[in-house]
Amino acid sequence: MTRRGVAWLVLGAVVVITLAIVAWPRGGSPSDAERVRSVSSELRCPDCESQSIAQSSTDVARAARDDIRRRVAAGQSDAEIRQAYIDKFGPSILLKPESGGLGILVWGLPAAALVLGAAGLVLALRRWRREPHLHATEADRELVQRARP
Amino acid sequence: MRHRARWIALAAGLVVTVLAVVLATQVGTDPRADVNKSHLLGENAPAFDLPTLDGSHVRSTDLAGKTVIVNFWNSWCLPCQQEHPALVEFYRRHASDPAFAMVGIVRDDTESAVRGYVSDEGVPYTVAFDPGANASLDFGTRGQPETYAITPDGVITGTQFGPSTVAQLEAMYRAARGPS
Repeated sequence: MTRRGVAWLVLGAVVVITLAIVAWPRGGSPSDAERVRSVSSELRCPDCESQSIAQSSTDVARAARDDIRRRVAAGQSDAEIRQAYIDKFGPSILLKPESGGLGILVWGLPAAALVLGAAGLVLALRRWRREPHLHATEADRELVQRARP
Repeated sequence: MRHRARWIALAAGLVVTVLAVVLATQVGTDPRADVNKSHLLGENAPAFDLPTLDGSHVRSTDLAGKTVIVNFWNSWCLPCQQEHPALVEFYRRHASDPAFAMVGIVRDDTESAVRGYVSDEGVPYTVAFDPGANASLDFGTRGQPETYAITPDGVITGTQFGPSTVAQLEAMYRAARGPS
């Protein structure tokens, strides 16, 4: 295998390992406290701008954290809790767009653009590499000499 | 090679087209438009049991069979202060009706500030506190003032986010009470 092939192989291995580490499901199920923190950080504080229920210190955010804690203790799933808040406040209570319906475009389009951009870059680099290297001829050097003051 | 470039250009064009369609269809629509409307319209009003300014309690169960106006407010909010004369005028018009009740639920304020405001401005209807903010959460409030009209059988039929006028209150009340 050429040195270039080895370099590509190493690069590929790094990408695959990184993605595996990021995407691999964590061992064990999250504790109730972790679930409360996770769900409340996905929901917008109803009476403040751009803060999650987890971050906000308003009375309603505090009440919402207690409510989420009670729902988790009662055995509701994260999706059920999120849905209860959507039913009460509407979809804008979610800090992150939903991953279904039109929301999928919000996630999918940047990823598609990234893949296409990377593919285009690879093609362009390969094309530039194939172009012949030009060397200055004697006539070129003479031309440059004559142009000099 | 040339074909591959063509496919990539085609895919890029497709992505741009989809993006353009999405933008074109979404321009002018506010993704947070639902912030200004209640999602509890047509739903049963949340149950509540709240301490009142006069030391008693107001319970939603005690109000069953009445048309109820619930107003979330506090003493420091300027729109609440602007709205106050309309609420008082509306209440005076219907206070003698035994099938009518009105509750002002204090949202995010201290008891002493509320007592001071009530003493200075006069609030003739029931003033209730919301310790723990559970009623504010259950009603899906996003601020104050917010007003809810509840039918005698406990369904929310009207909401107003922001200051209400007497005419708006009357319209909400009529819709909640139904034909008399």
